[in-house]
Amino acid sequence: MRSMESWFPAQKVVGYGVAAIAAVLVLYPVYFLLQAAFDVGDPQVRPPTAYGADNFGSLLQYPQIMLNTLTVSLAATVMALAFGSLMAWILTRTDVPGRRLFEQLMAVPYYLTPLLGALAWSLLGQPESGFINGIWRALGGQSHLIDINTPYGIAWVMALFEGSVAFVMIAALMKSMDPSFEEASQVIGASRIRTIMRITLPLAAPGVLGAAIFVFAEMLGSFAVALVLGLPTRYYVITTAIYQMIQQYPPKIQVAAAMGASLFAVMWAMLYAYRRVVMSGSYVTITGKAFRPRLLDVGRLRYVLLGICLLYLFVAVVLPLATLFFASLQKIAVIFPTAENFTLDNFRTAMTMNAVRSALSNSLLLAFGTATIGIVLMGLLAWLIYRSQLPGSGMIEYIVMFPQAVPRLVFAFGLMWAWVVFPIPIYATLWLLLIAYLTVFLPLGVRTIAGVILQIDKSLEECAQMCGASWTFRIRTVTIPLLRPGLVAAWLLLFIASVRELGASILLMGPHSKVITPAIVESWFGTSSELTAALALIQTLVVALAILVLVAVTRRISAQPVD
Amino acid sequence: MPASPGSPPSCSTPSPHIEVKGLELYYGSVPAVRGVNFNVMPGEQLTLLGPSGCGKTTTLRAVAGLEQPRAGEIRIDGVPVFSSAQKINIRAEKRGLSMVFQSYAIWPHMTVFDNVAYGLRVRKDSTSEITEKVNRALEMVQMREFGSRRASQLSGGQQQRVALARAFVFQPSVLLFDEPLSNLDAKLRADMRIELRDLQHRLGITSLYVTHDLEEALAMSDRIVVMRDGLVEQIGTPDEIYSLPRSEFVADFIGSANLIRGRHRPDLDCDGLTALETATGQLIYGMAYGRKVGLEMTVSVRTVHLRISQERPVGERNVWPVKIEKTVFQGDFSQIHLYWGDQRLVARCAAMEPIAPGRDVYMAVEPRRVVLLGAGNS
Repeated sequence: MRSMESWFPAQKVVGYGVAAIAAVLVLYPVYFLLQAAFDVGDPQVRPPTAYGADNFGSLLQYPQIMLNTLTVSLAATVMALAFGSLMAWILTRTDVPGRRLFEQLMAVPYYLTPLLGALAWSLLGQPESGFINGIWRALGGQSHLIDINTPYGIAWVMALFEGSVAFVMIAALMKSMDPSFEEASQVIGASRIRTIMRITLPLAAPGVLGAAIFVFAEMLGSFAVALVLGLPTRYYVITTAIYQMIQQYPPKIQVAAAMGASLFAVMWAMLYAYRRVVMSGSYVTITGKAFRPRLLDVGRLRYVLLGICLLYLFVAVVLPLATLFFASLQKIAVIFPTAENFTLDNFRTAMTMNAVRSALSNSLLLAFGTATIGIVLMGLLAWLIYRSQLPGSGMIEYIVMFPQAVPRLVFAFGLMWAWVVFPIPIYATLWLLLIAYLTVFLPLGVRTIAGVILQIDKSLEECAQMCGASWTFRIRTVTIPLLRPGLVAAWLLLFIASVRELGASILLMGPHSKVITPAIVESWFGTSSELTAALALIQTLVVALAILVLVAVTRRISAQPVD
Repeated sequence: MPASPGSPPSCSTPSPHIEVKGLELYYGSVPAVRGVNFNVMPGEQLTLLGPSGCGKTTTLRAVAGLEQPRAGEIRIDGVPVFSSAQKINIRAEKRGLSMVFQSYAIWPHMTVFDNVAYGLRVRKDSTSEITEKVNRALEMVQMREFGSRRASQLSGGQQQRVALARAFVFQPSVLLFDEPLSNLDAKLRADMRIELRDLQHRLGITSLYVTHDLEEALAMSDRIVVMRDGLVEQIGTPDEIYSLPRSEFVADFIGSANLIRGRHRPDLDCDGLTALETATGQLIYGMAYGRKVGLEMTVSVRTVHLRISQERPVGERNVWPVKIEKTVFQGDFSQIHLYWGDQRLVARCAAMEPIAPGRDVYMAVEPRRVVLLGAGNS
């Protein structure tokens, strides 16, 4: 039955199967979130006894929270994009010394986690006890130089530690751009600045816009920094407000749900706009014709650019780590300690706590599982959405990108609400966290892999097909090898994202399934900042070791360059 | 599978290798192909020729199975691989075809050898067989010594040769070419054209070729399908297409032609020639070649068929005094712009003494070179 084959190919079965899994992962918790948002009956009774929109009306009582959220998110997005674009351009397009090393170091703030950044900058920039302000007063300054517990302080830390995504996305874009576009401009006499303004930036614009939307969504859903830096002055953004409403007694579940639902409605519209941008621009920049990227000779300017790179790494890596290390060695953290103030007790306490050890191993296990299952699931989804011509692939993209529109905390709330009533008892286990991670990181993984897929000339796959290769054979021999750098990057991103995850974990972890990041937050607010600094450093060290191993392994795997 | 009249009939004329009937293909609501019919005979090289956007590549991709048509039927060896009526759509990899892509599509993560061996590995040939066939194929495209190179270390012409070897190494029944030479420079293109033609003859393989390059089509094809706006304008041998264009579009697109409009004068027809009177009263005799003769007609005269002389040539028909506007020297020939009454015509003559602008000379053309275009063309 030759004609029947075309109606049941492996491609369609796998495609729709994967799409169905993604749909269940995303829509099941969203359903329960919406149910709670429109529940106007007795909050203690499930399923709801009455439905209505009153919860959304009551949001008007919190205008300050909305304003706070917008201020912080916009400021952080602008800063992150500025840092990210500048660094991406310097490191991919100019001959600044040590580019390769810097490019690898650029990911370090992301590895460090925004939580660690917030803890460190809190120690540095609190108006009274902050180290920087201590030095300021020692130099004769009045009151304080900086106050980190302000909206722009929060945005600064967010941009430094959560803005790496902007760099990664923009750098990938710039690397894939055919340099002959820029050379063509220079050849006809345009200056470098003009070339950047008229050629490089417009070409990069759709990608940068995509990055902007992505980063803004990240900032809207950002939780750790606002929690650590905002809580002392009761400066709430939407995520910390929702957390507060769920945690307080009695909890305001319904208003929190309505708040989350409103937030993703805004993001939904932004994703629609993003989709239009991608559809209108051509991203096919890598063809079967291989080209070699060429670097811009920036002359003396390269030392200025080198300075910018060093400064960025100083404020985002060296200073925070040094601060935490300095604080973790003291009984009471101060800028000018006496000799007897130094101690190793914080590390001793941290290492002997069973809770910390199990939280750390749980986190690593979860990250490994999430990344490994994730690249298979998300790789297939990305291919399905951007390459297959299966009907409904546009719909699948919306569903897959949905979690980006929902702050992780809110999503976790939906998950919690959903899986509590699920017949299989996975609530408060690591399985629930695995499901949560796979769900909330769908956009991250799919977007990362899609970025590479979009750059691979379609005819490379079609040619394999014309050679007679079946779908599974060409996926294995052509698509995956070509995607390998992207898949490796996606695996790493997923692993790191899982280890540093806070928003979803803080609500979903059970007493016997603790993970590391929420454990650190508990320590910050519950015990001492010195012990927390030690904990954060231990976490960082373990993650760094894991990443070093991974880098070594992936180097060997991808020893054959794909250029 | 529904009963298909698969086995070729045993009559004297060979049955076509590829049949395309009533092919329609839309991108969303935009028609790309609007009802195309043609056959490719076994061992034949058929070229789809037309300007960009005429639907030639889309037609090729539909034959390949890379695009799904809305309507029509495609048969290979008499077996339908696509049929909207029978709801048949065989996947590309099952059609037993092969294709050379415009971008070459050389896989950058494989060596030249692995690129060429791919189709054989798909077919699970033995290692020794693969080595032998790949080496033979690389030999044929003069790339034997490049087997261990990577794609990024090859020049455009070399990538082209590898793409070609990869396409024919597994002995497909049909080779499809999607503008394979368009990314090469002119000199290389001319060489590859001859090489490709030789190779196709040596392999005796049926090929369907897409190009927008006229010279390429004329030099390489057994027959040409001229396409425009998703429709077929004319099908014929290169000579037929060139000498006997059926429409103004074909006359204009294929080489350079003068188009002359006029009114039919049946009273002056003689010796099987058709007489045409232009608006300015010039009389020109041409041949209808069996086409229907209407009242208002257009004839096409190739620029190379207009003969210019200082003396009045012998003969009575199709000889006129003309005035030189200018002569443009182009190396192998000179292009002469001239006034024929009110109308400006162009003639191409083999290199000759330049004639001063404004000179009065004579122009002549054999009536058989004056081709009546089909009626119903604008």
